[in-house]
Amino acid sequence: MPSQMRAAVGSLFPLRRLTSRLGWGACLALALGLAACGGGGSSESASTGGADRATAAAMSPMAQLGEKIFRDASLSATGHQSCASCHDAANAHAPSNHLVVQLGDDGVSVGGRVAPSMRYLIYNRAFRIEADGTPAGGFFWDGRAASLAEQAKGPFLNPKEMNQPDAAAVVRKLSVATYAAEFQALFGTDIFTRPDDAFERVALALQAYQKEDSDFAPFSSKYDAFLRGKARLSDAELRGLALFNSASKGNCAACHPSAMGADGSFPLFTDFSYDALGVPRNQSAPSTWGDQGLCASAALDGLNLSTTAREALCGKFKVPSLRNVAVRQAYFHNGRFTDLREVLTFYVQRDTHPERWYLDGSQAVDVKFNDLPAYAANVNRSEAPYNRPLGGTPALDAAEIEDLLAFLQTLTDGWTP
Amino acid sequence: MKLTQRFALLTGTCLSLTALAPVTAFAANTSPAPRGTAGAAGATSARERALMERLEQLSADLQTLKAEMADLRRQQQSDRAAVATAAATATESASAARASAAAAASAATASNTAVLAVNGAGQDAASAPATVLTGYGEVNYNRYQRDKSKNEADVRRLVLGVQHRFDARTKLVTELEVEHSVTSASDKGEVAIEQAYVERQLNDQWAMRAGLFLMPSGLLNENHEPTAYYGVERNFVETAIIPSTWREGGLQFVGNFDQGLTLQMGVSTSFDVSKWSSTDAETADSPLGAVHQEMSQAHAKDLAFFGALNWRGVPGLQLGGSVFSGKGGQGQATAAGNGLRVSLWDLHARYMVAGWDLSAVYARGTIGGTAAFNTLTLSSGPDWYPVPKRFDGAYVQAAYKLWTSGDLSLSPFVRLERFNTRKAYADLGLGLTQTAAPTEQVRTVGANLNVGDGVVFKADIQRFQENKDRNRLDLGVGWSF
Repeated sequence: MPSQMRAAVGSLFPLRRLTSRLGWGACLALALGLAACGGGGSSESASTGGADRATAAAMSPMAQLGEKIFRDASLSATGHQSCASCHDAANAHAPSNHLVVQLGDDGVSVGGRVAPSMRYLIYNRAFRIEADGTPAGGFFWDGRAASLAEQAKGPFLNPKEMNQPDAAAVVRKLSVATYAAEFQALFGTDIFTRPDDAFERVALALQAYQKEDSDFAPFSSKYDAFLRGKARLSDAELRGLALFNSASKGNCAACHPSAMGADGSFPLFTDFSYDALGVPRNQSAPSTWGDQGLCASAALDGLNLSTTAREALCGKFKVPSLRNVAVRQAYFHNGRFTDLREVLTFYVQRDTHPERWYLDGSQAVDVKFNDLPAYAANVNRSEAPYNRPLGGTPALDAAEIEDLLAFLQTLTDGWTP
Repeated sequence: MKLTQRFALLTGTCLSLTALAPVTAFAANTSPAPRGTAGAAGATSARERALMERLEQLSADLQTLKAEMADLRRQQQSDRAAVATAAATATESASAARASAAAAASAATASNTAVLAVNGAGQDAASAPATVLTGYGEVNYNRYQRDKSKNEADVRRLVLGVQHRFDARTKLVTELEVEHSVTSASDKGEVAIEQAYVERQLNDQWAMRAGLFLMPSGLLNENHEPTAYYGVERNFVETAIIPSTWREGGLQFVGNFDQGLTLQMGVSTSFDVSKWSSTDAETADSPLGAVHQEMSQAHAKDLAFFGALNWRGVPGLQLGGSVFSGKGGQGQATAAGNGLRVSLWDLHARYMVAGWDLSAVYARGTIGGTAAFNTLTLSSGPDWYPVPKRFDGAYVQAAYKLWTSGDLSLSPFVRLERFNTRKAYADLGLGLTQTAAPTEQVRTVGANLNVGDGVVFKADIQRFQENKDRNRLDLGVGWSF
């Protein structure tokens, strides 16, 4: 042991006692160990938005099956419609055609609500009434499915969608699919003899696919890059963000949060709550007329709500995410609007100039909130931008709407610098 | 010299002197007078008078001693249980006196009672305070090797306790804990009652506790002050598997027997497994920690039985084990038929000799009936946390008091742990059962620097085998009084 070192340490400890005990070995090990702290590798933490998710190749066998099922049109009644038919991965897992409400597998039936984007749903939870009395969560527009798996079962058996009569029919088609052997390998060779169990596993596989494939929550928009410090928003986009967040102007962030979470999670632009906006009736789509929304939903079963409490929920629909809103072809639950600029104008002029928006079948001025006039009381009128008087100034003028539009366009996934 | 021994000596002296007196007198009478008979007679009576005076003095002393003995006996009766513990303490090696006193205290009573007894034995009962303030606290710093954004400094806990002795047989033990400094709706802290029980000495051997008390499990749970364990953070086996600081409410009987045997058993509240959240990653940190009720409006449909046996017959050695079993469904709607049963057992050993402090613990928990419960929240993927059916862990630890100077002492230590909070899941069907987690292994190397009797400075380094993101350096200061 070098004498200088011994002298140095000796000044700290009585030398004789130490050497008479375990010896330098223990001390040195301890000192070296303590010194070898914190200087370790500092790999840059990959910030992929909120989730840490596998690439397609690394998906579990269940998720890989889910992907095959997602794209398999043979599982519908006539073999023409798969999940991917309406939820196009190339268009934010939403319809890419211009139909307001989609056609069913039979080519004739018309859906009752706009097919939503399937992205960013993995962050949603089952429906519940929160402590402050507000409803939140649940899958579908009215929250009636408690999980992604439960929601996945719906379209198979919906006559307006894939039009299968029961689970057994779906499983019969599945048992002759190209991946049937894979399904049996994972869930048991006898799984097709138990159609209800097999159908449960189909739903679980679809859920696993949505959870594990990062395509369902890529966080790859320009705004995400901006949050990561990798991109700069233009002046118009920044003005739009300010209008989005401002409580007296757009006040969009009240239901569509735009801020990063305290835990570093990226904003979903929805809080999965419910609101009634009094969207005008879509005169071109009779199948969407008079949709009561949450009050008619199975989500409320078992909650023992009084009639009054239940009716207070009529006209309320779940707040969708605004991510990829610019590529949507139809807006709101009934597709009354197909142009985003028009949607923004409706928001700020709904109460100042209702005569422009509420029109009957012959384009004449109709009563305000003409889709559910009986439940006009449920419509949100207290928050900005709805709190302007009739004939007054809208919260946003045309230039501001353009700025807001520019910002909303930064929410589209797949942005490259 | 003990009072009894002094009394015996005096009695012997008195008796021998009394017996000798006639002999002395006879000797005085028969011994040849050196000069003149008149002088010899006068000298004899003077000696006789001196002897009589001495006898009277001795008699007076004897009376005083008798009175003191009576007082002492009364005092001893009230401290009997504590004296028995102190006796066990006194037989252990001197170098481990401090640590073993704390360890012995954990077996029978709350942490400070033995110290109180040791102080009280030999004192007049009136001078020992009826109400005693106790406390302990930890201030910790964690520095992570990989992700510095996780570095943390925290007042991990600050605990204030009040113990009150109503009479020789009845006392109250309470402890209030504040975790993470600040508690509010938007802050991370917690204020909790850690102990609140009444203890009544039933007879020489048995005491009874009623209220909220610490569960006798492992080495750390009942003896968890920062001065009582090595390393800045409590070990994983006794936090993740045994959910220290684990307390339940109910009735406990504590028996102290010969040969250093202690038996504890009772009935208590159980866990509420129905509140398990299968999407909460924290359930993987400690399964029982996620479902404990801490007697906070605890559901009490299902109660639990528990027992612990510890043997301290050899100085410096403690061997023991514990069992706990109770249902966890509590009749709640989400509990799917209430078939959930939680069982936890442990074996532990500790040996302190010649400056070494060696310990080992194995703990294992099982939850029955999880298949039906997990089916309700069926999902897949790594972020699905169903209730495990088995979780266990074990560690071995060696510490050595390397250096002492005045009231400072340095004890480096090494601890090797293996634990798995998701060791096995109940079968839900082919392809549906969640995969068990790999067993984590942790190596901890560090040292405790004790300052005086109640303060400790600690440092250690922890290396994880599975999840290397948890590798860290820890520093901490703790106290206990």
